[in-house]
Amino acid sequence: MSTLRTEEMTLNMGPQHPSTHGVLRFVVRADGEVMREAIPDVGYLHRSIEKIAEKVGYRGFMPYTDRVDYVCAMFTNQGWGMACEKLAGIEVPKRGEYCRVIAAEFNRIASHLLSVGAMAMDIGAMTPFAHVIREREMINDLIEELCGARLTFNYMRIGGVAWDLPPGWREKALAYLDHFDPILEEYNALISWNKIYVERLANVGVITAADAINYNLVGPNLRACGIKWDIRKDIAYSVYPDFEFEVPVGNGQWGKLGDSMDRYVVRIREMAESSKILRQALKKIPPGAVLAKVVRNFKPPAGECQIRVESGRGDMGWYLVSDGSGYPWRVHVRTGSFAAMGIIQKLSAGLMIADLVTLIASLDVIAPEIDR
Amino acid sequence: MIVVSEYVHNIKDTVSTIFEGMAVTASHFMRKPYTVQYPDRMPVRVQDTLPFRYRGILDVDLEICTGCLACERACPIDCIVIVAEKDQQTRQLLLSQFDIDIAKCMYCGLCSEVCPTGAIHHTTEFEGADYSLESLIRRFVQDPLMAYKAKKGPETDPKIAPILSRGMAYLDQWAQPGGEKPGGDEPA
Ligand code: SF4
Ligand code: SF4
Repeated sequence: MSTLRTEEMTLNMGPQHPSTHGVLRFVVRADGEVMREAIPDVGYLHRSIEKIAEKVGYRGFMPYTDRVDYVCAMFTNQGWGMACEKLAGIEVPKRGEYCRVIAAEFNRIASHLLSVGAMAMDIGAMTPFAHVIREREMINDLIEELCGARLTFNYMRIGGVAWDLPPGWREKALAYLDHFDPILEEYNALISWNKIYVERLANVGVITAADAINYNLVGPNLRACGIKWDIRKDIAYSVYPDFEFEVPVGNGQWGKLGDSMDRYVVRIREMAESSKILRQALKKIPPGAVLAKVVRNFKPPAGECQIRVESGRGDMGWYLVSDGSGYPWRVHVRTGSFAAMGIIQKLSAGLMIADLVTLIASLDVIAPEIDR
Repeated sequence: MIVVSEYVHNIKDTVSTIFEGMAVTASHFMRKPYTVQYPDRMPVRVQDTLPFRYRGILDVDLEICTGCLACERACPIDCIVIVAEKDQQTRQLLLSQFDIDIAKCMYCGLCSEVCPTGAIHHTTEFEGADYSLESLIRRFVQDPLMAYKAKKGPETDPKIAPILSRGMAYLDQWAQPGGEKPGGDEPA
């Protein structure tokens, strides 16, 4: 009896695939259910954001930064603001920095919520997604009251923020945090420690610490491999040194160190830490101005600078070159999602096709951030 | 034997964690629903529940527009077009066109931030669906009119005063560079 003839299949996954978090495309070479390789194809969502900066000027570019990573736009706002401030030597008032941190940490919680919810949904659990979206909507309500928008915030300006906290907002924010901490516990009971869920994530897409560094992973993806590296702590910026918080790292409790479950749990624990930072920030926020005096026709001196912020997806770099005119000469954004896409090809060998979805979700890649 | 006990243990774990999750889900039957049925079953219009700073579709109060073109210059995508010319006889600015392309606008707020009188401002209106792009261009000037001129003292014209105070209240929301006029929350 002769064996059945098998052959390798080349499949196209995406760009309009519901579980690819936006529009990502993969070319999958598979042998039955098992992948030989999944090659990410980036560029589908390229919008030339960096080139736009050269055309719209320093102030006009702020709303565009929202579109670099629409899930955590506060960090892109902050990155752009910080790059301009560093080049022009502007000091942001203390209260302005606090406002930034408060807005950004709320945004981090919202971003991680979406990430963990989408992860559950990609694996097949629909209910948790409804729960996280409910919580995210509540945070969006708060942010909407603060800056008038729910997604493309455009909250920060060169030299500070555009709006002070509205009256009564602090109490609302603190009340929300009181509501949020138990919700996180409830969410964990709902899905995180569910045996089937854990089994589905543990030991899938294991990234070793050495690989994580070689492939330039950042943020929660890097920390899940056991490496304690957080820009907020290690290259302290803004007013983060004022706060006490832990940097959660993966510990391989459910399987191997650096698997999908570790990445998931790091995000869950980071939300609790963000909540801690927020409580301190809301309590300590000093009085004063929130916006520094900056000339309307903003022209930084010629030169270049690079700044780093810890966004929801990790170390985000903004590189800015100025030639002294009213328009940036070159802007470059370095994002965590792009780096994370690089490692997928390596990790996918030998995985099931269904696990590719888990892998993408656990790396928390956001399509517009990959392509810009 | 170990394999069997692990097998049984796994089943037990699975069942117990599923029940834990189901308990959470069941508890939500008792809570108030968070979703609302938009748009037809809202007790109040959504527009009326939105915060003051909400950045919806732009509106312009031409009565208090000074024709300074600051908004036109601030807009990064040039969706505001203003034509303001000096009238030869009266030596005053005459506004003959003020169009905003709502289809292009990204509701960033850069234009309303720089307006000196709060003439151009965001409303809480967001339902802008229409059948043609052309009808999304809002044309505010019907007949050419004189631009507003700020008076030295408080505004005296009873028609304009309430509009101006609305505009000023809108401007108060924005942070002042250097914090000369602290708006918003009082410090702890
Ligand atoms: S909100 Fe932004 S995009 Fe819209 S008109 Fe104003 S400046 Fe232009
Ligand atoms: S709307 Fe405001 S910013 Fe625009 S021209 Fe009129 S006064 Fe100037």
